[in-house]
Amino acid sequence: MEETTYSVLVIDDEESMRDACCLILAKEGFDTDSAANGKAGLEKIHASPPDFVLIDLKMPGIGGLEVLEKVKEIDPNIIPIVITGYATVESAVEAMKRGAYDFLPKPFTPEELRLIIRRGVERKELVQEAETLRREKKLIEENFITMVSHQLRSPIVAIAQYFEVILGGMAGEISPQQKDMMTKARARLEGLLNLINDWLSIARMNGGQLVDRLKPMLLETLLANQIDLLQPLTEASNIKLVLAPTTGKTTVMGDEETLEQVFSNLITNAIKYNRPDGKVEISIKEDAEHIIVDITDTGVGIAQEHIPFLFDQFYQIDRSKRSRGDKGSGLGLTIAKKIIDSHGGAIEVTSKPGVGTTFSIIFPKPPSDLPNPPTTPVFRS
Amino acid sequence: MENAKAKIMVIDDDPDFRDAITPILQSALYQVVTASNPKEGKEKILEEKPDLILLDIMMDSLFDGFSLCHAIKTSKDFEVVKDTPVIFVSAVKEITGSRFQFKGEEQGMSGPDDYIDKPVKPEDLISRVERLLKK
Repeated sequence: MEETTYSVLVIDDEESMRDACCLILAKEGFDTDSAANGKAGLEKIHASPPDFVLIDLKMPGIGGLEVLEKVKEIDPNIIPIVITGYATVESAVEAMKRGAYDFLPKPFTPEELRLIIRRGVERKELVQEAETLRREKKLIEENFITMVSHQLRSPIVAIAQYFEVILGGMAGEISPQQKDMMTKARARLEGLLNLINDWLSIARMNGGQLVDRLKPMLLETLLANQIDLLQPLTEASNIKLVLAPTTGKTTVMGDEETLEQVFSNLITNAIKYNRPDGKVEISIKEDAEHIIVDITDTGVGIAQEHIPFLFDQFYQIDRSKRSRGDKGSGLGLTIAKKIIDSHGGAIEVTSKPGVGTTFSIIFPKPPSDLPNPPTTPVFRS
Repeated sequence: MENAKAKIMVIDDDPDFRDAITPILQSALYQVVTASNPKEGKEKILEEKPDLILLDIMMDSLFDGFSLCHAIKTSKDFEVVKDTPVIFVSAVKEITGSRFQFKGEEQGMSGPDDYIDKPVKPEDLISRVERLLKK
């Protein structure tokens, strides 16, 4: 194993004590430094935190116990060892209570100092090892999700690709009946792929791989893009899909990819569960602390008793009414909720059977001193 | 038809995918050559000088589609083919989330000219290929 050089800072008002400690520890291979009082010591720790700090408990000015507490605040990874001049059990216990790793009663021999600091090094290495293992475990878990989903998807994708070729007539003539059956089979395969994708999204979000990517973004751009993309779905039932007039500059802190997923899902539902010639209206409003996007449809509505369960995994209001060829996984709303949760927001549902349903996506208002988000749409397919 | 004889190289480690995509491209009268991994692809690109490359991303090797694409666009070895359009064809949704976005540019990697999700829709594939060949 590679030898690491550890640093130690000795804080003691007695010059001879400081020098002796530094000399012994330097011989042990430590980078040593010292300070004559608590204030100077804390300044040095602030400037460059050492691995270990030896603190004399009884010093003029800032006392050792106070220094000990401040050290813990500056960097909890520093290992503090206290030197107790008046070797009472009480003072040692008090120091340990306040986070000292160990204590050294004066007078002590060089060997005692070496023993204690070696124990500290062992401790330090254990902590570091645990941290490395924790990081590796996380990495393996994340890759595991990716690998499993790749292994699951690959065969399905290959099958689906053959279906595309046959249905496209590129492998010879097929009868209308064969074509019909293969079209249905293809839809089931697509449903299966969607399920794997959705399951993966949930696994990712449970791993917390989202929240650190939030950046300022313009809601109007995002919504207008989604409306454009989803417009073709409205044609079958002649649904009117509109964005109500807005200020044009509503900014939230968001992750673009996942927010697109949320709005795409909710708007698709609003179109799918609408009545013929119905309407889907998207509007933005705000109050003192929130920005709220309402997606309102004119569909059959959702009975009150179902609303509390809407966001549960695989919850379906009436499984038998599920339309043939519906490729939804039953996880869409669960994912939407998880995404909005990780934006620090919430989704609320109000519905009147026979009148329609409104999904409200509530974002916390971003701080007012944000830089302006880019207004041009990003690269898309 | 001006593109009638364009040569397209498919680099993918899944033999079924190569078998399935070949008739799609042939139906549009393209000539198809295949390679089953990036290393083989690297050699064949220089040998065959295709007009366009369809490249899988996740292959069973450290030298993946991202690296090969970057090499084609920037490496001296590929000087003669550096302007060949590259389309990523991959079930990459699992790498980047809901929709594929090439993130390598932030790390100085050269990206593809287009990308398309697996399974590919024949019409979609053909129209994207045609668009790039016309440039």
